[in-house]
Amino acid sequence: MVLSIWEVLDLAESGPYMSERDFDLKVVARLCRELVKEYDIRYDPEQIVTSDDSLADDVFEAGFRLAVETGIYCINTKRIIRFTEEQIKEGIESAPEQITVGWGKDARVLYARKVEDSRYPIIMGGQAGAPIPEEFHLPMAMSYIKEPLIDTINHGGLAVVEGRKVKTGSPLEVQATRRELRNLKEAARRAGRPGIHFLAGESSNTCIGDLAIASDEYMQTTDAHLIAILNELKTDYDRLTKAVNFTEYGAMNVTLVDPIIGGYAGGPAGVAVNFVASFLLGRLLYQSVYHICHPIHYKIVSTSAPEGMWELSVVGQAMARHTPFIIMGDVWTSAGAGTEMIFYEITANTVTNVVTGTHPLGVSATNGTYPNASGLETRFMAEVARATVKAGLKRSEANEIVLEMLKRYKDKQEKPDIGKPFPELYDVATVTPREWWQDLYNRMKSEIATLTGLPL
Amino acid sequence: MSEGEAILRGLAESVIDGDEDRAREFAKKAVDAGIDPLTAIKEGLMSGMKVVGDRFSRLEIFLPEVLLAADAMKAALEILEPLIVKEEREKLTLGKVVIGTVQGDIHDIGKNIVAMLLKANGFEVYDLGRDVPIDEFINKAEEVGADIIAISTLLSTSMPYMEDVIRLLKDRGLREKYKVMVGGGPVTREFAEEIGADGYGDNAEEAVEVAKKLLGRA
Repeated sequence: MVLSIWEVLDLAESGPYMSERDFDLKVVARLCRELVKEYDIRYDPEQIVTSDDSLADDVFEAGFRLAVETGIYCINTKRIIRFTEEQIKEGIESAPEQITVGWGKDARVLYARKVEDSRYPIIMGGQAGAPIPEEFHLPMAMSYIKEPLIDTINHGGLAVVEGRKVKTGSPLEVQATRRELRNLKEAARRAGRPGIHFLAGESSNTCIGDLAIASDEYMQTTDAHLIAILNELKTDYDRLTKAVNFTEYGAMNVTLVDPIIGGYAGGPAGVAVNFVASFLLGRLLYQSVYHICHPIHYKIVSTSAPEGMWELSVVGQAMARHTPFIIMGDVWTSAGAGTEMIFYEITANTVTNVVTGTHPLGVSATNGTYPNASGLETRFMAEVARATVKAGLKRSEANEIVLEMLKRYKDKQEKPDIGKPFPELYDVATVTPREWWQDLYNRMKSEIATLTGLPL
Repeated sequence: MSEGEAILRGLAESVIDGDEDRAREFAKKAVDAGIDPLTAIKEGLMSGMKVVGDRFSRLEIFLPEVLLAADAMKAALEILEPLIVKEEREKLTLGKVVIGTVQGDIHDIGKNIVAMLLKANGFEVYDLGRDVPIDEFINKAEEVGADIIAISTLLSTSMPYMEDVIRLLKDRGLREKYKVMVGGGPVTREFAEEIGADGYGDNAEEAVEVAKKLLGRA
């Protein structure tokens, strides 16, 4: 039997004590370094989408050992929540291989993808992570929901509500999160897809927002919210409160794993090992039913950085080959919507995810910083995803496409073109792309089809 | 290589290797050999830290190695610094920075990276940690005579607290006394301008350059 949430909370109070600095340096950093060396795991910038099964297997084995040896550090109690090898295995065995998300005709079956899977992935769309101005939050959400190829939604939250800035831990987190969910539900109704699945509650980082929306009026039990594993391999009372609340409410917990390349886990190799451990521990800690893979390059940030896509590729394959975990791979671009560059980044990042075991989640343009995004570029992400499957793309072929795309954007990632905000991309009243943006999309789609041979 | 050069190299290498014991050992050797402590710090410890910062920027090493290097440097400084007169000690640093992740936010890796790179580049850094109440930035700056207050966050909902720090500085009549820098995942150049911050770093390296410029040390 997988541990109950009660037993997890007990472990947070009774596990071994350690200072946080010792956990960071003497446990996580040391073990990641040792495991990387022992398994000889190396990042290869020429093999972003690697076809090396043994590399994926080594990353999984090393990650499993890291999970057993480290556990998760609880910042509030300064104790380590440690799970046994048996419990971690039970976490894997009990993980759902597929779940139904959303309801009615808009429900989708979210499933664990395999490497070079021949099924179309589930597309999760939205400008995740970005604060969206209240005045166009609803129509912007509609721009994604209106796209028939977008199956589920993960959109940005509100940083200002009724003209008031929302501060972390303040009462306004209640209003902002409720307003966010009301907008999303209304957008779904207006777009004729009332049962579409939402991964939401982005307006509040603390548990306040989550506590405020655990009701049918806001978030239904067919919806989900994110609970992060804090960097690296840590949690706190806030995250655990979210887990308890939604476990009792009955909606879905989703683990967000977003380790920093260059941080405590080390470089790309150490971060890959840390990813696997975080997924395995997140499953037990939060009872998550699906999981988000979000590598962060310490400087570039975007998942479309070469090191980020290598993580998605290696970790996706490691998890797909050894677990039934359902994993969404983030597509976070440096460029904003309304630019040529974003199309190259989307192509590389999406092709990577689709052939290596994850469903694409995005496009979060400008790394979720600006509201410079729309449904149209996420339609493109969905089209690339489907074309990748249609073409029966192998990993080696995907790698060639990725390297080709990287030539076109890698050097611009530090100072990208951030594009235009949603109202300049779309007619907000009719929620349709403006002519220039539609034309740019048409031209880039055609160019990328020619460049890659993908049936777009 | 002369004995003096060997000691300076030993100091630099012990920082690069993050070896506290060796850093202490070479600091004592420097004292025994009559090397000017200021020279030992500048040409030994700080040159080692510069190498560490450069290697991190190229992702040849990672945050744990940078932290260990900073520990080694601190260990040697504990021996060397008391031997320097106050005026000279102040000349050693480019400036004093009070840094922290602002209220409501417990993400600190990005802030830690900035703090380490500032140290590597010769700033004296007072790291308040994370979830730092707005008045603590100011109180600490007053206490240590800081030049810069650097505020970080990864959460868009903690960005208003950055504005609160600036407002509180104004309310306490201290705004002109400090340069305020902001940065972190959701923070933009436009936001920094909007709240009246003096500087913004898009990444850790830019933050260091901006800090230097703000103090006229670029």
